[in-house]
Amino acid sequence: MAGQWVIKLEEVSAGYGKLQTLFDVTVEIPKGEITVIVGPNGAGKSTLLKTIFGFTNVYQGRVLFDGRDVTQLPPHDRAKLGMTFIFQLDNVFRELTVMENLRLAGYDLQEEVFRSRLEEVFNMFPRLKERLGQKAGTLSGGEKQMLAMAIGVMRSPKVFLIDEPTAGLSPKLAKEVLTYVRILNKEGYTVVLVEQNVKASLEIGDKGILVVNGRIAFDGPAGELLRSKDLARMYLGL
Amino acid sequence: MIDVKVLLDTISYSGVIALLSLGITLAYMTTRVFNFAHPRIASAGAYSAAAAMALYTQAVYGDITFSKSTLSLGPLTLSYRIPFDIVIVGILASITAGILVALLEYFLVLRPLINRGADFLKLMIATLAFDFFLIAMLFILGTHISVKTLVSGVFGRETTSLSLHAFDPRLEVEPLGYRMRGVFLLSLLGSLGVALLLFILLFKTKLGVKMRASIENPALAEVLGINVEQVYTIAWMISGATAGFAGFIILFMGDLIKPVTATSPADEIIVSAFAGSIVGGVNSVFGSIGGGFIIGTVEIMVSSMITDLTGLDVTRYNKVLSMAAVALTLLFLPQGIASLFKPEVRARLVSRLRRRG
Repeated sequence: MAGQWVIKLEEVSAGYGKLQTLFDVTVEIPKGEITVIVGPNGAGKSTLLKTIFGFTNVYQGRVLFDGRDVTQLPPHDRAKLGMTFIFQLDNVFRELTVMENLRLAGYDLQEEVFRSRLEEVFNMFPRLKERLGQKAGTLSGGEKQMLAMAIGVMRSPKVFLIDEPTAGLSPKLAKEVLTYVRILNKEGYTVVLVEQNVKASLEIGDKGILVVNGRIAFDGPAGELLRSKDLARMYLGL
Repeated sequence: MIDVKVLLDTISYSGVIALLSLGITLAYMTTRVFNFAHPRIASAGAYSAAAAMALYTQAVYGDITFSKSTLSLGPLTLSYRIPFDIVIVGILASITAGILVALLEYFLVLRPLINRGADFLKLMIATLAFDFFLIAMLFILGTHISVKTLVSGVFGRETTSLSLHAFDPRLEVEPLGYRMRGVFLLSLLGSLGVALLLFILLFKTKLGVKMRASIENPALAEVLGINVEQVYTIAWMISGATAGFAGFIILFMGDLIKPVTATSPADEIIVSAFAGSIVGGVNSVFGSIGGGFIIGTVEIMVSSMITDLTGLDVTRYNKVLSMAAVALTLLFLPQGIASLFKPEVRARLVSRLRRRG
């Protein structure tokens, strides 16, 4: 699988409106792996993830997905091509039950495809099966993240873009949510994960990317990034 | 005890208010804009319908004077002066005009502002500005010499104060011994029909699923591959279409809602339409229809009952009653009557009332 990438950013400069937060970024996201993006607050790691999905303004460069230039595509079209994005907050339909959430996620699927995806979801996250009738808004923080990932699985995407899923969770729950990410990856999904929980996330990651001041400061194996004490001390205060 | 005429009037009036409240609510639920120009879209629908009907009549029938025709069906006798094809032309024209004006407002005024990050207040003011623009356009249309000549030539009615009340068909129900006005049927069936269509759209079609998802959580809907922008555009089209159709009904109203001019009926019914939307619950399409009927009932039936009971003519001040209904709603059910379907809201209300009592 070495050398195979599913997403590639080529000299991308991006931001929100006139506020540029990414400068000349070039990265590759390898297929079937967990890529972890870390960096100090406001460094642009979430912007990088949102740029992949089309939530930002790209001023320069190209975003390639599965060999196709998607730089100009709006988010819903990228979703149709096989990307899915999991927001940090508000990533489920709070007023709907768990089952209704999954129904809605598979709104355009044939009944048998829907059933088999549902089966896949329950295999990965058996706990959701016990919560089917419960309103998503009343789930615990960890369960909400689980449902958000399940909504993604219903779309059977080529890649999961996950934005700080452990933010605001207790260390115990945070660890649990990271195991969900591993479950996704074990099922063959490519994952790009933005995390503030540097150590725990790099431990489950294959590739690590360090973003500092809107530029790529490190791009290589996650273990290597974890061990590079200098970088860690400099930017993350570890 | 309740006068049949008052009851029929109440239903006719309520149907129009419900249609308008529905459009206001739909626009609010999707784009989070309180559209103050909404009732004026109804005026635009009315004007366009009158102009289109006059144009069509001249083109197809030439110089005709509308004479009374009757159609008997058992105990029912329908008497009408405008042939049905002209009515259909009018309805289509009012709906088309409503859609076009709503799209104009959305794409020319609101969308650019939303893209620039305008907040709720700025958008609201912008809809007021658009309302003024519409007044001017309608005034030009109403006084434009060819439109004026055409409409007054065909219907014998002035465009500056336009009413086709005299052309409203009457349905006589023999055994009951009273006449029903065409506008009553149009308003009742129209509002219920729209409600039914909307129910089917929202709950039985894929577009409805997309619409509900976009309302509930637009960002997440986008992630699911739903073109939220497109869904919003459709919501505005429906909002405009229902307003235009309401305008067509208003054209035949006569006494209940003043004749259409550039400024009226919007100034008359804007209060009632927003009251219906708020009483129904600004986040519920079907609540707004209920809200519209509540406001209609309060303004026509309740005001008439109070007048009968006290001898004081309060019908002229009936907007005060609908404002009171809004105040009571905000006090006890801030999310509108639609929230009564949520058990937790019901429980809260009951405990609150108990504490007071």
